[in-house]
Amino acid sequence: MISPPQALIAEVTHRCPMHCVYCSNPLIMQSRENEMPTGAWEKIISDAAALGCWHLHLTGGEPLSRNDLPALVQAGRAAGLYVNLITSGLGLSRERLEQMVEAGLDHVQLSFQDSIEESANLFGGTRAHAQKLKVAAMIREHRVAFTINIVVHRGNLDRLESMIALAEELKADKLEIANVQYYGWAVRNRANLLPTRAQLDKSLPIVAQARERLAGRIRIDFVLPDYYAKYPKPCMGGWGRGVMLVDPAGRVMPCHAASVIPGLTFENAREKPLRWIWEESPSFQRFRGSDWMPEPCRSCDRKEIDFGGCRCQAFLLASNAEATDPTCSKAPLRQRLEQIVTEANSPLADVPPSGAWVYRIDPPVLSS
Amino acid sequence: MEPQLTQRPALKRGCRLSTIEPLLLIPEGALRLQGPGRRILELCDGERSLADVIDELQAEYASAEPSKMSGEVVAFLKALAERGAIEFL
Repeated sequence: MISPPQALIAEVTHRCPMHCVYCSNPLIMQSRENEMPTGAWEKIISDAAALGCWHLHLTGGEPLSRNDLPALVQAGRAAGLYVNLITSGLGLSRERLEQMVEAGLDHVQLSFQDSIEESANLFGGTRAHAQKLKVAAMIREHRVAFTINIVVHRGNLDRLESMIALAEELKADKLEIANVQYYGWAVRNRANLLPTRAQLDKSLPIVAQARERLAGRIRIDFVLPDYYAKYPKPCMGGWGRGVMLVDPAGRVMPCHAASVIPGLTFENAREKPLRWIWEESPSFQRFRGSDWMPEPCRSCDRKEIDFGGCRCQAFLLASNAEATDPTCSKAPLRQRLEQIVTEANSPLADVPPSGAWVYRIDPPVLSS
Repeated sequence: MEPQLTQRPALKRGCRLSTIEPLLLIPEGALRLQGPGRRILELCDGERSLADVIDELQAEYASAEPSKMSGEVVAFLKALAERGAIEFL
């Protein structure tokens, strides 16, 4: 018996005014011409609710690059879903926010790239920080839950305290501080992004103290960099276990990055029933459960805790999606990870980032 | 911290009851509500005091023993407050 998904991640567009150096979108993106129309999304949202989802996460790219967000929020609420907008804030006017709140938006997650303007704009590749501050104030005027998300890395982890102060100043309900995960564009910028062990060690007590001080006011989530972990993260809570992601063109995937894995064919929600895709399609079955696992995962007592870690990371680090995730200390190919971490901590690497960033670019426009 | 009977329990911003299933939807997921859980939360409207909530429940569930019910309601709401789903105004 396959348990139903709990969340639908609707990646409604890959267009985005930001160019973040750690963007988790795939390097090969869907262009505007391939984006599904409103009606197709509405059907997917309602089918996902019927399948058992509780949450709808509207994301992208920048979801507000589409002009039909209020209709999608409405579709989520009509289907009984909890609706979360994950946004850079760019393109969020008061009028659009009010339309979405009116349609039943439950939660807004607004990204910041840093606590100070100059470097925030550097990491985001856009002059966006000042506008985000205005958007945050506007969100707070509405009865909608408000999370601030800041991706942290070598270039900004030392400003953790001022990031926490920013979340307090902007009256967020929750602050999510997420270390970069190395997928998509972040892999291209890894040498500039991977923090040192000293930076990481310094960050832990800062988070612990802030959690205590802000208890009952602001919840703080802290996502650790798994390159420094002993065991891998239970990526997406396990392949095909709780989350389904639909890309702008309708391809249904178990996670944001799965399109990097060669040999997998992702079904399209416009062509096949969503329930069949979730329960039976080969791509969702591929790494579900533990039958696919190699040793040492297969006989590991943690296999129901981390579900073998991340298949995309295994492919990116070990060139084999079936390999034990190299972030696991028991992985035969852990050495590949150790090497990257050692380089990041060598005295030579301990200089400010070189500035040679690879910026995320928008999907190309196909001319007809 | 022990909530006072005069305080008014309310769902926090971003938390609400599902209109379809006995679920409390929260930003991180959902909590399945059993027995009178849903009814308790319906009464936590930020208007009624904790004492009012307990009184109304006792009227509705006449067979329950009053002191036991009162303790269970408080424990239930405290657990939800720890999850960040309830606040006491």
